[in-house]
Amino acid sequence: MKKIILLVVLITSSSGFAQPNCFVYPEESGERKACELSYKAIEFQQGSKESQMLFDEAIAMGPKFAWAYYQKSVPYFKRGFLYEGLQLLNEAVALEPITYLSYRAYWYWQYRNYALCIQDLEQYYALPKAYMQHTPGGEKDMRILLGLAYAKIGKYAKGIEILKACINDHESEDYVGLADYHSLGVLYVLNKQYEKAIEVLEKQLTVLEDMADTYYYLGLAHKGLSNLKEANIQFNKSLEIFDKQNRFRNTNAGFIVYPSDVKHELGTN
Amino acid sequence: MYLLLLVTWVLLFGHCSTPSRTIQEYQDQIGDTPFDPSRDNPEYTLCDSTNVLHKRAYIQYTGGIKAMEEELFANYEYQPSYSTFSGTFIIRFVVNCRNEAGRYRMQILDEKFQKTTAPKNLVTHILSISKNLNKWNHAVYKGKDHDGYRFITIKMENGQLIKK
Repeated sequence: MKKIILLVVLITSSSGFAQPNCFVYPEESGERKACELSYKAIEFQQGSKESQMLFDEAIAMGPKFAWAYYQKSVPYFKRGFLYEGLQLLNEAVALEPITYLSYRAYWYWQYRNYALCIQDLEQYYALPKAYMQHTPGGEKDMRILLGLAYAKIGKYAKGIEILKACINDHESEDYVGLADYHSLGVLYVLNKQYEKAIEVLEKQLTVLEDMADTYYYLGLAHKGLSNLKEANIQFNKSLEIFDKQNRFRNTNAGFIVYPSDVKHELGTN
Repeated sequence: MYLLLLVTWVLLFGHCSTPSRTIQEYQDQIGDTPFDPSRDNPEYTLCDSTNVLHKRAYIQYTGGIKAMEEELFANYEYQPSYSTFSGTFIIRFVVNCRNEAGRYRMQILDEKFQKTTAPKNLVTHILSISKNLNKWNHAVYKGKDHDGYRFITIKMENGQLIKK
């Protein structure tokens, strides 16, 4: 229950992370005006002409008010205008790295530039006042993405180290992300540490039983240990879950599993 | 006279490198892509051009990204002249309510996500294999069929496609 509540809090708060308080800026200052105009802008639909023009006005009034650049950048990223989005978000990052580095890293991840994603997150976590950051959807600690990004460039051991540290922190707070053990298990499989993979993937099943991907990776781990009978049991379970409408889908998984992957393992493809 | 006009135009509108600080012309929504006779097929039509969704997640490819990538890989024909290119193609388009795609637009970025160019025949080939993807499923939003915008990214290293 505690986990669900935390997840709901994360999801509902994530869209407006770091929402500024306009009253902290002196009255009549450029930042105060920019802040007020930006709040006016987000009353309009995201990406609409009205909102974009208000952000432009805000930026002209208070060019040091980072939130306006960030808010203005979002629809560009979501709609495939990566370059335009980055020109705006870069301004926000330059003004307030602690607030926006992690968000830029998220978009680097989304657009599959793992080197730049790692660069931003390493820079972020090296900041003395770095705090816990999540994906915009709230489902993953950004350190999980950092570990997965290392795995994407083939640095599995480094990824494992980061994921373990992240999970350890959360375990001590009695909260682990819904797919965190899964992510660690995937990295163990990729690093051919099959016994460790089975250990954490089975732990994952105590958190969630309806994620098809977990059974697939469990199958791969058993296969890695030449336990083909058990591997096939897991692959079949995975296929069963794929058929369920309400199965859990692992957002920002990094390593996505398709039914065709499982069928391929079962040799029925 | 024309030269004078051109110089004036450049002076007025030529400083577009920092979009946030210049007065911009916007479509009603970021990403709205009106028909452009110079590059769009005039026979490609939308079901309701006044309400094209900007919700990319509602448009899916049959078999998912994996199937889409397999098709791209199968249709990609490497040529040695492509090896100079490393970077990302971002291809935006519309999927209308009849599952037909059109109005393709492209952005080419280097490995640091700066704007760049690619060999002309590579650009043509990438656009062509993107247009060949024909298993798009249109957006169904709040129970209704919609046209919608979608984009794909194609990543390359030394002229070779890179898997997701």
